[in-house]
Amino acid sequence: MTPAPATVPADIPAHLPHRYPFLLVDRILEREPGVRVVAEKLVTIGEPHLQGHFEERPLVPGVLLLEMLAQTGGFLEAEPLHGAAIFLAGVQDARFRAPAFPGDRLRLEVTPEGAFAGLMKLKGTVSCEGRELCTARLLVKRL
Amino acid sequence: MSDLKLRVKEMIIERLKLEGMTPDQIEDQAPLFGEGLGLDSIDALELVLGIEQVFGVKIEDEAAGMKAFKSVQALTDFIAEHAKA
Repeated sequence: MTPAPATVPADIPAHLPHRYPFLLVDRILEREPGVRVVAEKLVTIGEPHLQGHFEERPLVPGVLLLEMLAQTGGFLEAEPLHGAAIFLAGVQDARFRAPAFPGDRLRLEVTPEGAFAGLMKLKGTVSCEGRELCTARLLVKRL
Repeated sequence: MSDLKLRVKEMIIERLKLEGMTPDQIEDQAPLFGEGLGLDSIDALELVLGIEQVFGVKIEDEAAGMKAFKSVQALTDFIAEHAKA
């Protein structure tokens, strides 16, 4: 599916409050506000957490895969978040099937399952070259 | 206990994973939030999703939710009213 170019923001930092070294979304590939977002993250060896996780065999911590999905969820909003804080209120059904390594191009796909009173439930999948690495449901709240 | 009320209680127990609890342990008039079952905002979202999935009834906004989540009785009445529409 090729989305209309206007719906895919090129300027990631204008949309999310996160910054280096914790901005974990590189590019938005597809976006339909309120319905679906597909983003991309290229894992590079220079990322600080990989220096110690682990020294001999760098791989992305599972919790950061969840964080990538939560950040991708920020793009479901119709309007840019600018500085608005979002916090993670819950994680359900998280499965980590395979690790992500430096050089991996991660596909982050998020769809909403519902919202009520400022809380949103998201379903997310991290995959690499068609292989599912992580699936989870996240609860996020906008402050 | 009416059939619908029993299904509402079963949905609450299943959706919120209130392990070990049975429908007859949930009082009809006890508040769902704060005192009573002591549910929080995450539980509220789970219930909104459960009600839609099980009964096909949407709770559109916070005001409707506040009214419906007052008690099991209020929630059963809300579902009965909106499922017919």
